[in-house]
Amino acid sequence: MKEQRSTKPDFVTDEERREFLKLGLKITGVMAGGTVLSLMPISEKDAAAELTLAGYDNTPYKPHYCMVIRQNDCVDCEKCKEACVKTNHVPEYGFRTTILEREATDNEGKKFPVFMPVLCNHCLNPPCVRVCPTRATTKDPKTGIVVMHVEKCIGCKTCMAACPYNARYYNEEKKAIDKCNFCWDTRLSKGEKLTACAAACPAHVRVFGDLSDHNSEVWNLIHQPDKAVWVLRPETGAKPCIFYMND
Amino acid sequence: MYKKGLLYALMGTVALVMFMSAGQVMGQDEDYPQEPIIFTKPVKAVIFDHKSHIDNGLDCDSCHDDPFEMAAGTAEENADFNMKSLYQGKYCGTCHDGESAFASNTRCTLCHIGVKGYNRLMGTSGEGEGHH
Repeated sequence: MKEQRSTKPDFVTDEERREFLKLGLKITGVMAGGTVLSLMPISEKDAAAELTLAGYDNTPYKPHYCMVIRQNDCVDCEKCKEACVKTNHVPEYGFRTTILEREATDNEGKKFPVFMPVLCNHCLNPPCVRVCPTRATTKDPKTGIVVMHVEKCIGCKTCMAACPYNARYYNEEKKAIDKCNFCWDTRLSKGEKLTACAAACPAHVRVFGDLSDHNSEVWNLIHQPDKAVWVLRPETGAKPCIFYMND
Repeated sequence: MYKKGLLYALMGTVALVMFMSAGQVMGQDEDYPQEPIIFTKPVKAVIFDHKSHIDNGLDCDSCHDDPFEMAAGTAEENADFNMKSLYQGKYCGTCHDGESAFASNTRCTLCHIGVKGYNRLMGTSGEGEGHH
């Protein structure tokens, strides 16, 4: 069932809004139950600002760390995985990030692989945080990073089951769940600007940055009117903060 | 006796000539590596298939010894064996420039088969590989 919302510009879907913005038109009003739209021509620059995905603007996080994955440039060299393992001491049986693979066919009928990097989506409504019985995993109020408090974790694995992205594993040594924390303890808190995976990527597939900064590369990447941007499993309502696009 | 020897010599020559010319025909058609070449540096892994390039009308001279020496692994030893060089028209970029063949900065995974593709070809599971 489609969600009915009262505020006028939100009545139309993000997709419809985006379609009009591509044409250089901003929806300024919705009338007669969505059958009549009031439109206004705007500049390309203003169109970009209007593209803000519903719910992602005005979050309390500053910086609001997120990642944009330029998916079609990923060649599964797995240098990101190597860097992550080394930086965060991920055991052989574990993972903080993975690369998924599927087969696609080009217009000449030739088959080729599509690689999709996956990591913790640092959701705005993280299901893992909601289900944790001991508050061992929380959303950091400053940065938006979904963090683990290892000393509180009882290893019940409920968060693993709740995560829509299979981004968590049980670490036998820590006797706790381990997951991506955007290298907060190993890099960001020490002044590094990038996660280990983003720094290691030779093809600039993993673009890491601050979504609250409208001059940041991540913000500008996902606010191009002519580019499709998607998130994984949007239907869960988790509001993930890992954005995917093709270059 | 003498005549018979001459006949044998003649037959031998004919056979030798036929054998050599057959060998030459073989050489033109199939004297290239049947298994694909796999590059693992600077990233794992890129596949090069001789057959598909020959099927597209190329012959040995097209790529040997320039831009590639006829010895697998030679190009990988060079520090400039990377995408930047390809964009400048070196190595694969000699043809993969968007005119002779698809440009080097497009259709990445047609050649880049990744660690997963590499492990599949090598018959290894890959899980846990490269972690240490």
